[in-house]
Amino acid sequence: MDEQLNLLQGTLDMLILKAVSLGPLHGYGVLLRIQQISKSRLEIQQGSLYPALYRLEHQGWITSEWGESENNRKAKYYRLTVAGKRKFQSEAEKWNRMADVIAGILRTTTEEL
Amino acid sequence: MTLWSRLRCWLAEILHRSRTESEMDAELRFHMEAYAEDLLRSGVPRQDALRRARMEFGGIEQTKEQCREARGVDWIDDIAKDFRHALRQLRLSLGFTLAVTLTLALGIGATTAIFTLVEAVLLKSLPVSDPAQLYRLGKDPDCCVRLGFSRPTEYAIVSNELYEYLRANTKDFEELAAFQAGGTFLGVRPAHSASPAETYFGEFVSGNYFSMFGLNAYAGRVLSVADDTPAAPPSAVMSYRVWKRIYGLDPSVIGSVFSINDKPFTIVGVAPPDFYGDTLSNVPSDFYLPLAMEPFVKDDGSLLKLSSAGWLNVIGRIRPGTNVASTEAQMRVELQQWLRSHWGEMTASERLDLAKQTLNLGPGGAGITTMRQQYGDWLHILMLVSSFVLLIVCANVANLLLMRGMERRQQTSLRIALGARPTRLVRQALTESILLSLIGGAVGLVVAFLSTRMILHFAFDTTTQVPISAAPSLPVLLFAFGVSLITGMIFGIGPAWLATRVDPIEALRGANRATRDAGSLPRKALVILQAALSVVLLSASGLLLQTLRNLQHENFGFDRNYRTVIHIDPVLAGYKPTQLPALYSGIHDSLTSLAGVASVSFALYSPMSGDGWSEAIYVEGKPEPGPGADAGSGWTRVSPGFFEAIGNSILRGRAFDDHDSDRSRHVALINEAFARKFFNNEDPLGKHFGKARGSAGDYEIVGVAKDARYADFDFTKPPGAFFFLPQSQSSGYSDTNAASTELRSHYLHDIVVRMQPGAALAVEQVRRALASVAPNLPVGRIQSLDQQVENNFSQQNLIAQLTSLFGILALVLASIGIYGITSYNVARRTNEIGVRMTLGADRMHVVRLVLRGAFLQVVLGLTLGIPLAIAGGRLLGSQLYQVPAGDPAAPAIAVGLLAFCALVASLVPAQRAASFDPVKCLRTE
Repeated sequence: MDEQLNLLQGTLDMLILKAVSLGPLHGYGVLLRIQQISKSRLEIQQGSLYPALYRLEHQGWITSEWGESENNRKAKYYRLTVAGKRKFQSEAEKWNRMADVIAGILRTTTEEL
Repeated sequence: MTLWSRLRCWLAEILHRSRTESEMDAELRFHMEAYAEDLLRSGVPRQDALRRARMEFGGIEQTKEQCREARGVDWIDDIAKDFRHALRQLRLSLGFTLAVTLTLALGIGATTAIFTLVEAVLLKSLPVSDPAQLYRLGKDPDCCVRLGFSRPTEYAIVSNELYEYLRANTKDFEELAAFQAGGTFLGVRPAHSASPAETYFGEFVSGNYFSMFGLNAYAGRVLSVADDTPAAPPSAVMSYRVWKRIYGLDPSVIGSVFSINDKPFTIVGVAPPDFYGDTLSNVPSDFYLPLAMEPFVKDDGSLLKLSSAGWLNVIGRIRPGTNVASTEAQMRVELQQWLRSHWGEMTASERLDLAKQTLNLGPGGAGITTMRQQYGDWLHILMLVSSFVLLIVCANVANLLLMRGMERRQQTSLRIALGARPTRLVRQALTESILLSLIGGAVGLVVAFLSTRMILHFAFDTTTQVPISAAPSLPVLLFAFGVSLITGMIFGIGPAWLATRVDPIEALRGANRATRDAGSLPRKALVILQAALSVVLLSASGLLLQTLRNLQHENFGFDRNYRTVIHIDPVLAGYKPTQLPALYSGIHDSLTSLAGVASVSFALYSPMSGDGWSEAIYVEGKPEPGPGADAGSGWTRVSPGFFEAIGNSILRGRAFDDHDSDRSRHVALINEAFARKFFNNEDPLGKHFGKARGSAGDYEIVGVAKDARYADFDFTKPPGAFFFLPQSQSSGYSDTNAASTELRSHYLHDIVVRMQPGAALAVEQVRRALASVAPNLPVGRIQSLDQQVENNFSQQNLIAQLTSLFGILALVLASIGIYGITSYNVARRTNEIGVRMTLGADRMHVVRLVLRGAFLQVVLGLTLGIPLAIAGGRLLGSQLYQVPAGDPAAPAIAVGLLAFCALVASLVPAQRAASFDPVKCLRTE
């Protein structure tokens, strides 16, 4: 496994939205999925997951309902709302733009100054 | 999320608190178990798997807390938690809680009690529909009968003719009603009953009185315009109070016939329960009779048909949207027109004054505001006084809380060190103090209710029903609640804020090692404030008590001892003028036969009984008094032996005797002031005067009596001119007003009985003696002359007592405050005292040490309080009697009293400190 990157604050929300956009998940499932799609390069603090989920629900980007898990136990499933989808797209755009800008700064050589 | 759905979410979360909590719990547990299972599957032993899952998840409670915060409803949770925490803290220190609650209850209770009275007397409107639309004639209340066409300042009392004229011509009033100014006593009994008539208070009202107020009868019907015609069958409306208390809500009363002043009236209905008439007074109206029935009831004393006899107050409902100023202007014009139509009947001075006659319209929502005028000033003073007490209470409680905050410094520092937010701590402390003050306020309401009852009991005649309810009304409840909340916030913020200004490390290292007294400035300031306020209050009560004592011991020109006054009303029993001499001699003989009675005498009214008659005087041989000249005198009519009975000495000439009869020369007695006013240096004996124009030779002066006070107001001025006429003589007048007055003056209302020294008169005996001679003569109050005079000072008495009560309360509170502060200081400096004692300080030194600390503040407070007290004395100036404004006696006594109490209060902890075991002191932290 590569050295695990520490998560920047605020990006956790975006990652959760991405994970949930691929299909309804319960909390543990969100954790697993993020690990999976980051190819285990990203580790999320378990403790900060649920406050973020509750916050996102309070803000209306995701919604929850109780359902049955794989082993027939009750679990709370989260899925993306319409507004959440839009929010995710705008956040992703912003992130990409920011990444571009920073990448550009980092590429600057002494000659270009 | 839209606002609506967000609100729904909130509501759902609040309502289903327990369910959401268990759901959150289940969710987090599911996560941990799922993780543990994964670990299990990857080969970790079961025990370890669970442990690792739990550890890597982190603190579950913390996570839950963060989730709750994220949900956005945590503030409700927090408040509930703060509340429960505060309750627990209060329960733990029960003694402290009790002390604070009681102190608060006293302060809030006193203020609320005064506010109840203020609201009832100064703020409330009549219990009628839409009182804001009511307007009455007269800026200031005026009462009760005014004869003639001129009024000194304004037309507030009108005759029936003028009322009808105004009503017919002023279209701006939807309804204009009139009612008798001041009301009248009536003798009432059910027509078929054999018992004698009972005296009730009632008034004559116009037919549209009840409809103008928008009132319907509680039972039966109210008076209508049809009842207010001379040909209508005599009808009357009874008050709910009488119907309930005397007749027990008996429905047969309605429609039955009652004898009112011996005339048959049908009771057509009962007024609404909370309606007390048009005037807030301690003698509310119990019977309402139509104006047109006044001649029927009053016979020869009737004023209805006299165009110049003013005896009615006017109040009306104005049309919505009317400009009151223009209505007033229009009515002034109408007044002038009406006056001019009576030009022929006016006297010369009245004609001169005609152009100046005016009237004013004032808001009528509160009815006739005599009580407001009477008690207004006092209530304002009392409100000021009670707010002082409340301030002292707040200062006390603030101090106590500050002290406790200091004690808790270690705990507070610990909590801050553990990560508590200062705002949260401040909120907790605030919650605690608000909770304390709300509890104090609730208890205070009970205190307020009880004390209002007590005040009303003392302020008003116990025999009459008071239209002021002691039960708190909604405004009063809101006031009490508001005051509690504000006091809670005021004295809570200080300690709360100070509590967070601790350096955690300092406190954790071990508090109380420093001798510097942190946070002592506010405490010291509070003690100084308390001391100053107490001095002011005590000094004020001292001044008022002195005033009261001066008033009570004043010599009013007659002898108060061993005299009893019996109030009767021959008018109500329907006695004709010719029957009166026989009535009086019968009563005289009956009463003189009682044991212990030295003499019996009669008067139209006795000194300081609350009644007063006056006339303009025309002296024979002197020019007639010009318009506007002060040529009036008070007077009364008395039977022979009156002056001896009342103890008023005759300085010159003689008193009335049995030789003065209607056939002999008409005589009169005057007092010194009368002689000075009308005769200057001349000898008044043998001179003549009269009380109507053209009758200046009516009375010959045969004696001069010492000045005695008959009227009950304005004690700062000496008694005015006064003359006496004998019961046995009567003059004839061509003027109807004068004739009517002369007639009415023969109905003597007061019987003065002089007892032998040491003898007592039983009320029952008197009533039986009177009943044996005149069974249907209503007998009113029977009281000693001393009591009658005392009644004139009932207001001053009440105010003096209340202020003294507040003063003592302030003293007690200030002493408790000083005691608390001093004992806290001793506790705080235990260590230091131990060190000092070890180093050689003796007991006296320790006592002096403790006292010095307390006394500095007290002395500062006293020096602050003395000029305030003197200023307060000047403020009271008008209410004081024969007490010089800058009188140092009262402030000096107040200062002495406070100093003494402060000494005692601080001596107790000082003694305790002096008896400390030094070793123990050093051991305590």
